[in-house]
Amino acid sequence: MTQTQTMLDIHNVTKTYGKFTALKGVSLSAPEGEVFGLLGPNGAGKTTLLRILATLLRPTSGTAAVAGYDVLRRPEEVRRRVGVVNGGMGLPARLTGREVLRSFAGLYGMNRAQTEARIAELDAGLELGRTLDVRAGDYSTGMKQKVVIARAVIQDPPVLILDEAASGLDIFARRTLLDFVLATRAPGRLTLYSTHVMSEAEEVCDRVAILHEGQLLTVGRIPDILAQTGEGNLERAFFSLVRGGEQRAV
Amino acid sequence: MVWRIAARDLLSTLRDRRTLAATILMPLILIPALSLGLPLLLGSFIGGQQQERQKVGVVGTLPLALRTALEQDEQQGGQTVRAGVTLVPVTDPGKAVQSGDVEAAIQAPAPLPTRAGQGSAELEVYAKTSSLRAQAGAYGKVQDVVDRYNRTLTLDRLKGLGLGADTLTPVTVKSIDASPPQEQRSGQLAFLIPFLMLQFILSGGMATAIDATAGEKERGTLESLLVSPVRRAEVVSGKLLATTITALTSACFSVAGFLISGLVAAIFLKTRSGLGADITGAMGGQLSLTLGGTLALLGLAASAALIISALLIAIGIYARSFKEAQTYIAPLTLVIVLPAVMLQFADFLTLSTAVYAAPLFGSMVSILNIVKGAAQPSQILLAILANLIGAALLSLLALRSFGREEVIFRN
Ligand SMILES: Nc1ncnc2c1ncn2[C@@H]1O[C@H](COP(=O)(O)OP(=O)(O)OP(=O)(O)O)[C@@H](O)[C@H]1O
Ligand SMILES: [Mg+2]
Repeated sequence: MTQTQTMLDIHNVTKTYGKFTALKGVSLSAPEGEVFGLLGPNGAGKTTLLRILATLLRPTSGTAAVAGYDVLRRPEEVRRRVGVVNGGMGLPARLTGREVLRSFAGLYGMNRAQTEARIAELDAGLELGRTLDVRAGDYSTGMKQKVVIARAVIQDPPVLILDEAASGLDIFARRTLLDFVLATRAPGRLTLYSTHVMSEAEEVCDRVAILHEGQLLTVGRIPDILAQTGEGNLERAFFSLVRGGEQRAV
Repeated sequence: MVWRIAARDLLSTLRDRRTLAATILMPLILIPALSLGLPLLLGSFIGGQQQERQKVGVVGTLPLALRTALEQDEQQGGQTVRAGVTLVPVTDPGKAVQSGDVEAAIQAPAPLPTRAGQGSAELEVYAKTSSLRAQAGAYGKVQDVVDRYNRTLTLDRLKGLGLGADTLTPVTVKSIDASPPQEQRSGQLAFLIPFLMLQFILSGGMATAIDATAGEKERGTLESLLVSPVRRAEVVSGKLLATTITALTSACFSVAGFLISGLVAAIFLKTRSGLGADITGAMGGQLSLTLGGTLALLGLAASAALIISALLIAIGIYARSFKEAQTYIAPLTLVIVLPAVMLQFADFLTLSTAVYAAPLFGSMVSILNIVKGAAQPSQILLAILANLIGAALLSLLALRSFGREEVIFRN
């Protein structure tokens, strides 16, 4: 048996915005081959944590390594290996999907043949179709989000960070996205999936972490969390953990 | 990498019709309109007043010779260069002018002399003396005719004494325009050239700069750019390059605008003559350039485009939205208008070399010098250097902002 590689290693990370502390000592690790869920109510610190992993924010203290590279010391190596999607991302309105994908492929140093092959692959996987040759300004939410995802994975990164990536999508677009995420559950890869929607997490995540007010309440496989809380589904388990967390904080 | 980033922003700008129009059409239309239309309008207005027969009211009687002189057209080579006036009898000269019945009115309280040596009498001329229309028309004509009438009477008298016309002017003045030919051609509106060039650099770069900074934030595309493995310095350089290119394009079209208006003016002045054409020639801001002048102009424009672009990007990245960026950037126009106003009086200012070390202002003065054919290479180089240093500092500021979380994720 070959040893599985640790793709994510977070150690005691804190993050403050001015006087406000958004993350209070978070430690986590995840091996390759997982879809890892990050759950938590609004303001829990999910986006903050994921932005630290994407090297967009610097941790105030603690360390984080993605695909073996420290986010503070080797940010460019990290960026080469992550694709990031969040719900608020958009596209340049006056460019077509294909132009956006080509331009980003260029930023990752891909040559023409690689780029076109990859675009064809993503076209099939994400069902982009004629969307690719329409200007992004004319996209529906679903079309836009699919192209945003295609753009994030254009270089086929081993680590994929999806932050509320399914928000605003209809059931068809959501289905395409979830199938795409499930397909990333493969050796050498890690997908971080943050969401509010428990049913999504139950479907795609191997393990989840529940974050509340900047602290981890629990990390584990979904069946284990259900057993630990004695609840029948993840949503109930989530409430029970969050309430428990609030009571402990009082 | 830098070029890839720039190409992305440029493609976006190129697809934006409104920005394209502002970058290319505006300078091509606005500049000839301003530098040519204004003087042409003034020239043709004054020319028109010369050609028109205005009504002039008369109270009582005038010497016949004076009446004839007032009514007569002035001919030159078979063409009327100045029309006479129509004399109409009035009773109240002041009221007649005020009511607009006549453009001017004249009244001689005492009979006017018909020969020199009969003493002096007053001729009252009523007109709206400060109006350009009266000065170019009836009022000016009456004054001219009376001057000539005086001269004719005096000359007649001198002739009787056996003296020639030169008795009146033992010394005559002949002025020769010693300004360089380029300055003569550039006209009084020459200060418009540096002003409009910089104005178009600013307006040309604005859309691209905002689109590439605050616009990226607003659309949610900045984050994806910043997580790509491109260095921040490359991102900033790419955006700077894109903005500078659009700004320079706009500047080039503004130079083209000036060259076009120069050409049109040359054709126009050839086909016309008389006072109107003279005025158009004196006022017009026209550009005629030597090769060296063109190169110097390009160098100044490029360095000015660079510093303005760096400023636009440094400001744009702070804003959260396109709208917010526009409100920050709008006052920048003053940075160009105020020096341009001073430039108008550049003749009165004795400019020390230090002026050329002022970013942007030094370039404006240098461009004006080039237009007037009085530029010195050392001053031009100093002005370019000042712009480049300013651009470097502002780029560093922009780079710092791109690396700051508070700026990128301001909310
Ligand atoms: N730039 C910032 N400046 C100040 N406070 C911030 C900033 N960004 C986030 N915060 C605060 O930090 C906390 C965590 O925010 P974060 O966006 O990480 O939460 P989240 O779990 O992603 O929430 P949501 O589910 O609403 O997306 C919130 O209370 C938020 O108000
Ligand atoms: Mg969030």
